[in-house]
Amino acid sequence: MAETLGFIDPTAGGDVARIPLARRPMDLAGATVGLLDNTKEQGDVILHTLGSVLQERYGVARVVLQRKEHYSKPAAPALIEAMAQEVTVAIAAVGG
Amino acid sequence: MPQDIDPFEFFLDKPWSDGLPVVTPTEARVEWMLEAVRLAPEAVVGLIPPLLEPATVRTIAIHAVMAGCKPSYLPVVLGGLRLMLREEFNLNGVQGTMHGVAPLMIVSGPYAQQIGLHGGNGCFGPGFRANATIGRAIRLLLLNLGGGIPGVASATIFATPMRYTACLTENLADSPWESLAVSQGYAATDNVITCAMVESPRLCFDDVSQEPTRLLTGLASSMTDLCSWNMHTRSDMVVALGPQHATLCAQAGLSRAEVQRRLCQMAGRTVGDLKRGGNWRRERALAFPIPVDPDDDTCFIPAIKHPDDLQLIVAGGWGPCTAICHGWSGGSHAVHGTYEV
Repeated sequence: MAETLGFIDPTAGGDVARIPLARRPMDLAGATVGLLDNTKEQGDVILHTLGSVLQERYGVARVVLQRKEHYSKPAAPALIEAMAQEVTVAIAAVGG
Repeated sequence: MPQDIDPFEFFLDKPWSDGLPVVTPTEARVEWMLEAVRLAPEAVVGLIPPLLEPATVRTIAIHAVMAGCKPSYLPVVLGGLRLMLREEFNLNGVQGTMHGVAPLMIVSGPYAQQIGLHGGNGCFGPGFRANATIGRAIRLLLLNLGGGIPGVASATIFATPMRYTACLTENLADSPWESLAVSQGYAATDNVITCAMVESPRLCFDDVSQEPTRLLTGLASSMTDLCSWNMHTRSDMVVALGPQHATLCAQAGLSRAEVQRRLCQMAGRTVGDLKRGGNWRRERALAFPIPVDPDDDTCFIPAIKHPDDLQLIVAGGWGPCTAICHGWSGGSHAVHGTYEV
């Protein structure tokens, strides 16, 4: 509408993309779960505890723990790609 | 344009401003702005995180118009944004952080003087078009193309008034020393921008000290708040010595480099002191890029973990005051470079 009024939309030109959510498995028995530590303090404690509970109570076969470089930076694409190839589901934790 | 459409209200109803009216961007105004540079309008300067919308020369010009810039300011806006998009500056992190820091632009060189950037009395406040609008153009870009909007991508608890605008130059007319840019290795004739991710300035009055040791002791204490991230991580800090304080040091024979060295040496607290409150965590201390013993209460923790992290400038009006801007915890490192005019 801005353009029809002679103004410029300062946000115009950006693509809008819809990223569908990955399918959520209803059963984790035998699954490999990825745990992504964002490096904030005690995030590792949360994830280790979560990983143990998932194995003990929900039959998760294996957990894969990865750690970002820094909590304020995105996880490296190679890390995300490697985890995506290896795990069934992934959980990220924010410490603090 | 329909007479019942108020362009100011139209833009304020959209999430396109900082809450203040903007100069309505029209094709005519954008073309006028683009005349200041010899760049292709569609040239991409970079992608502004976290939305990663492309900032082209044209879209930057649009935001410069909205901010109220003159065309002569556009090279500084372009130069500043280029620096902020450097990986080591970590713009992505500060767009989302809970903390309230902003990218402060310290602009040096002859072009800063030519366009009227102000570094004297009132330089952190309102009243100076170049300071106000260059910093504002950057903020509007970070909002509109980067998405650093509170409640959207930004978790900032308070933000900071520096997120309206954060741009100044040094007060070299009243400074006894060379500029920050010259100390970084540039020529005085180079047009340079230094950007540091910092909080609002803490104003440090001292109208008692008559010699540097006492003066710098007080200033150093203001660099070491228990709740400052500078004490608990490696972080930048801007110290804007008022010219009166700088002159006191210079008349005692201290160079700029010596004042920098002394502040780095003096500003700090012991482990025992840091444990009393604030953000002390043992594991944070173990992550410092310098050797410390977090189990020794007498161990001294400096506020400045690397000399490059202290951006020392002379700015402000004449009076017994220095401004200190603390840094952030998110792994941002100050950047500097020349820009094209």
